[in-house]
Amino acid sequence: MTAPLPELDPVIHAQVRLRVVAALSVLREGDQMAFPRLQELLGLTGGNLSVHLRKLEDAEYIVVTKTHRGRTPTTLLSLSRRGRLAFDEYTAAVRALLDHVGSEETP
Amino acid sequence: MGDDEAAPVSAAESLKLIEAQRDAAVRSLRPDPRFIYWPWGLAWLVGFGLLFLRHGPHEQIRVSMPDTLPLATLFALMIIALLVSGVAGARANRQISGDSSVRGLRYGLSWLAGFAGNAVVCAHFSKLLPAPEVGLLWAATSVGLVGVLYLTGSAVWQSRDLFVLGIWLTISNIVGVLAGPGWHSLVISVAGGGGLLVAGFAEWLRWRHHT
Repeated sequence: MTAPLPELDPVIHAQVRLRVVAALSVLREGDQMAFPRLQELLGLTGGNLSVHLRKLEDAEYIVVTKTHRGRTPTTLLSLSRRGRLAFDEYTAAVRALLDHVGSEETP
Repeated sequence: MGDDEAAPVSAAESLKLIEAQRDAAVRSLRPDPRFIYWPWGLAWLVGFGLLFLRHGPHEQIRVSMPDTLPLATLFALMIIALLVSGVAGARANRQISGDSSVRGLRYGLSWLAGFAGNAVVCAHFSKLLPAPEVGLLWAATSVGLVGVLYLTGSAVWQSRDLFVLGIWLTISNIVGVLAGPGWHSLVISVAGGGGLLVAGFAEWLRWRHHT
């Protein structure tokens, strides 16, 4: 079951970013999650999460909106259309690999 | 925590990670259905149950108690239900903004507008009716309104469970009204309150075993 995973999207194929994208994929269309809520959900430090969010933002997989709630600055996050597509494709690719492994084991 | 850039070692691990994270997100972002449905189911089961026992068909008193006790109990339990379901919903939606907030606000206001309008209409006609019919008027229009609001809610939230519940409550209400004062309370207690408890249980199973 330790098949190598070729041709998988390297942006998502890292544990932390995969968890970020999976968590954001649960948001309803048109919704955004504030940074602290995502941090709490994933159990990560703010600095660590920021690093990975930047990589996802650079790939245009997430939309980062800086805004103000009263006087406190808030960062709102959501999956972009492109990010959702990438996540769907990644999930499909992983499932295909599993099916492939399964069919090799039981010919 | 290990290397953050580390890739999952296998496809199976990848998929497990996705499912675990989506599960955790669903359980955090969607309120536990038990807190949303059960307090209301209990309020109807007990409240309408007491109404039936004290103000039964043909004004029969099956169990003697102060005549205002059933209604007072129903309202007290509904206030508790409003608080419990409200807190559960607000906790799930904290730090989430966007379209859902607008939908939620307008849906909430629909309930407020519906019940405010209904109360004015019922208060107006109450003066003209004998006591058992007054009770039936308020209960039947209110339960009917709840049924319709669940049906519209099912369209807003794309929820099949909510649609089934709305239809069930609407039919129960019609059956209760046709049966008459007193019987309506029994039907709403058992079928209405029971329906809410069952719906909460069914949604909870789905919520718990998400993906």
